[in-house]
Amino acid sequence: MSERFDLIVVGAGPAGLAAAIYGARARLKTLVLDEGVPGGQVKTTHKVSNYPGFPEDIKGSELAAAFARQAERFGATIARSVEITAADLGGLAAPEKRFVLDDEREVVAPAAIIATGARPRPLGVEGEARFRGAGISYCATCDGAYFEGKDIHVVGGGNSAVEESLFLTQFARSVTIVHQFAEFQAEASIAEEALRHPKIRVLWRHEPRGFHGETSLAVMRVEDLAAHAVHDLPTDGVFVFVGMAPQADLVKGLVPLNAWGYVETGEDMSTPVPGLYVAGDLRAKRFRQITTAVADGTIAALAAQKYLRDRYPSRP
Amino acid sequence: MSDHVHVIDQDRFEAEVLRSHEPVLLDFFSTECPPCEALAPKYEAVAGQFAGRARFFKIFRQGNRELAAKLGVTGSPTVLLFKDGREVGGRLSGDIKRSELRQAVEALVA
Repeated sequence: MSERFDLIVVGAGPAGLAAAIYGARARLKTLVLDEGVPGGQVKTTHKVSNYPGFPEDIKGSELAAAFARQAERFGATIARSVEITAADLGGLAAPEKRFVLDDEREVVAPAAIIATGARPRPLGVEGEARFRGAGISYCATCDGAYFEGKDIHVVGGGNSAVEESLFLTQFARSVTIVHQFAEFQAEASIAEEALRHPKIRVLWRHEPRGFHGETSLAVMRVEDLAAHAVHDLPTDGVFVFVGMAPQADLVKGLVPLNAWGYVETGEDMSTPVPGLYVAGDLRAKRFRQITTAVADGTIAALAAQKYLRDRYPSRP
Repeated sequence: MSDHVHVIDQDRFEAEVLRSHEPVLLDFFSTECPPCEALAPKYEAVAGQFAGRARFFKIFRQGNRELAAKLGVTGSPTVLLFKDGREVGGRLSGDIKRSELRQAVEALVA
């Protein structure tokens, strides 16, 4: 016996929750599915400074929880910690979208918005998988406290790497940022703060080549790109923030992907599959911010409403 | 906290984990850790499925630093698997899927 909804949103990040707010306010029976807790990447961002409406910094986890509360206030249902074990997103002939959750529950809707976003990209070097959780981390808010008084490294040079390095200074004795270029890609204001910070130093033009240790990580091997020389750096822990990889598994084969695996959509977030929309970081686009994700989610929900009205005019 | 998942501290590690007759899962969790929060209901559900065949414990990392350090745990959540007083199999960490956890327990109790 399947449960019916008007709109199913996959992914409870900013895009998915914005879509849920608009969907629920339009009186669509809206279900949001997430494999964890709501908030997407925002929930593990220690502070957010550039989201309009919050003149003071807000903790990412608080902003994430607020998005979720707002969606639920208007009647959206958020299914937390569910795994989609089977899905049929429909086609031209059969536009119904079906999802099986944890092999035990089936949910169906005539429209779906896929907002599964992106996950931290691994470096893809030797030893990385082995030391994940044993010295290598992708979440500073989760694991920062494990490194109190330790000498750690952060890999990357974008906003996340630099912001999270600053956050990690409250625990670590020293934070060494390893960055492949000769300057940060992060916003100037935080880049300057990091460069001034007494606990932070930077190894410019270096790249990790491998991770080594007995039971836990002890050494990160890096290449000095300028000198073409390889060094072993003793380390207590490494945090990796080298960008994101799209999570397109649900829609692979159904919708066009660009060369990097992101989904090409119409301006209204539509895909070639009727009633199927893609919003947020999973979309092929130039800039990925919380603000652009909520914009995508908004547009997708409005487009889905119009689709449902046109296709099912007898609906209340 | 529930019928199937029990929270312990490091002083009970030897008695509950190492000397257990059944296979044991031990989940190191932290506060302000969304993946830990995400794992909780999955851990609970899988614990229910394997009731009587494996025992499920959680341990709060902040209050049990020495054991975390001794076991080389540096991230939350990290799930360790034990059988006959020894750690076996690969550890699970980060964003852990329910199916992944279930498969690990199936292999553990096999």
